[in-house]
Amino acid sequence: MAALRSIAARIGLLPDDEGGPPIVPPSGWSAWLTTLTAGAMAFLALLTIAAGLAAGGLAEDWRADLAEAATLRLPAGTDAATVAQVVDLLRATPGIASSRPLDAAEQAALLEPWLGRGAALDDLPLPVMIDLRVLGTGPDVAALEANLGLTAPGAVYDDHAGVRAPLGRAAEEVRRLALAGTLLVIVAAASMVALAARASLAANSELVRIIRLIGGEDAFITRAFVGRVVRRTALGALAGAALGAAALAALPAGGAAAALAPVLLPGAEGLAALAAAVALGLVAVGWAAARITLRVTLREME
Amino acid sequence: MQVLTGVLNGNLTVISLDRISFGYDGRATLEGVEVTIPAGSFHFLTGPSGAGKTTLLKLIHLEHRPHKGSIALFGENIAPSDAAQRTRLRRRIGVVFQDFRLIDHMSVADNIALPLRLQGKPMATHREDVTELVEWVGLTERADALPRTLSAGEKQRAAIARAVITSPELIIADEPTGNIDAEMGMRILRLLVELNRLGKTVLVATHDLGLIRAAKSLVQARTLRLSERRLLLAASEL
Repeated sequence: MAALRSIAARIGLLPDDEGGPPIVPPSGWSAWLTTLTAGAMAFLALLTIAAGLAAGGLAEDWRADLAEAATLRLPAGTDAATVAQVVDLLRATPGIASSRPLDAAEQAALLEPWLGRGAALDDLPLPVMIDLRVLGTGPDVAALEANLGLTAPGAVYDDHAGVRAPLGRAAEEVRRLALAGTLLVIVAAASMVALAARASLAANSELVRIIRLIGGEDAFITRAFVGRVVRRTALGALAGAALGAAALAALPAGGAAAALAPVLLPGAEGLAALAAAVALGLVAVGWAAARITLRVTLREME
Repeated sequence: MQVLTGVLNGNLTVISLDRISFGYDGRATLEGVEVTIPAGSFHFLTGPSGAGKTTLLKLIHLEHRPHKGSIALFGENIAPSDAAQRTRLRRRIGVVFQDFRLIDHMSVADNIALPLRLQGKPMATHREDVTELVEWVGLTERADALPRTLSAGEKQRAAIARAVITSPELIIADEPTGNIDAEMGMRILRLLVELNRLGKTVLVATHDLGLIRAAKSLVQARTLRLSERRLLLAASEL
């Protein structure tokens, strides 16, 4: 515990209070802007990552569902005996787990978004649809269509590739967008910390001068100022991440959130882990940005 | 002109300036200054206002870099761009600034202890040293006070205590009696003399001739006079 405390003090996460009061003097209310901004960054980062994970994961789920499904479309007017023969043929086809003709109600439900509720479907020449569950990479389509050509000429096998490909691309794009959003938050957080560190050093230039003149190393000065900025960033990041996690946990169970819930809220532990990772990540970014900025600025002040 | 001020404590030279020139905004303040100050000696640096006393101390304390010439401290030549060397050598020097330069948000005791912190010495093991030193400079009652509440004399004594807390080999004081009454000036002089008797090399910049005369009754002190941008060993009439 003492060793951890010593390491934390050395990198500035804990105040070096063994040697006396803080080296950097207390500052006014404006210092809290660092905490506030870090909190906002953490909140945004958490939402961006969660939304990216959720949307990307959802698209992946849809794509996976479609990959297991296929449809066989028989020409309108195909009689029941032919349909039964086709179903028997499908049952005997390797790569097909099950097949089930859609009944009239299911077909009506499929068409309802386009034709409206209660449309007179009896007058329309609707094809017969057979819902298939496929195994692995599915059946040998060429062989299947050749076999079907004898039993049900005009049958069309549809593996939904035309729908799956855009979904896959959408999933990738959503992931990329989430990554870009997260990177933007990281850059903004690093810039904010760098500005705060530089302003703090400028406001205390006489203190820096005195410390140097009485034998202080720049490493000591850096540690003191990094500590001040990083502790404020850490406080804001923890609060922002906790608020973000609470906001996600409070999403209503119904509606669109329900669809997202399995991916977005992988349990309280998962959410807590994500929030902790975001807070720690921001602290690490802040620490690095403050350290680099202070070292460069101190060299400029030589 | 080279000023050799004699040899004490063996032959160790603490300060060696070799043909130093320095100026501000193109105007020369010091030209070709040479001086060698041995360990354990007590020197005054005097001269009229603006003669360059503070400038010379700043050069010795490595706050300024000479435009010409070279500086050696404790037998070590100064490399202008070596920050680590600068820090290492400054830790062997205790400096009392003309304007004290105490840190406003720290108490007297914390200001005095600061050089220990800067050198990574744990306060827990040095707390008694700090207390003793605070008592030695007569600031026990004011140990927890902030610098802004101190009188000029108290600030001066706090600055002296901070300068000596790490037991440096060289003590530089710039006008240590400049802002205080004669009685307080004598107390501070006695502190500096006592430090010199403990083996410290002392260099005091002052224009207070009374202080110099008083010191010479207490310690074997020599006087360097800055005049016309040159440094001379003052005659013994002081």
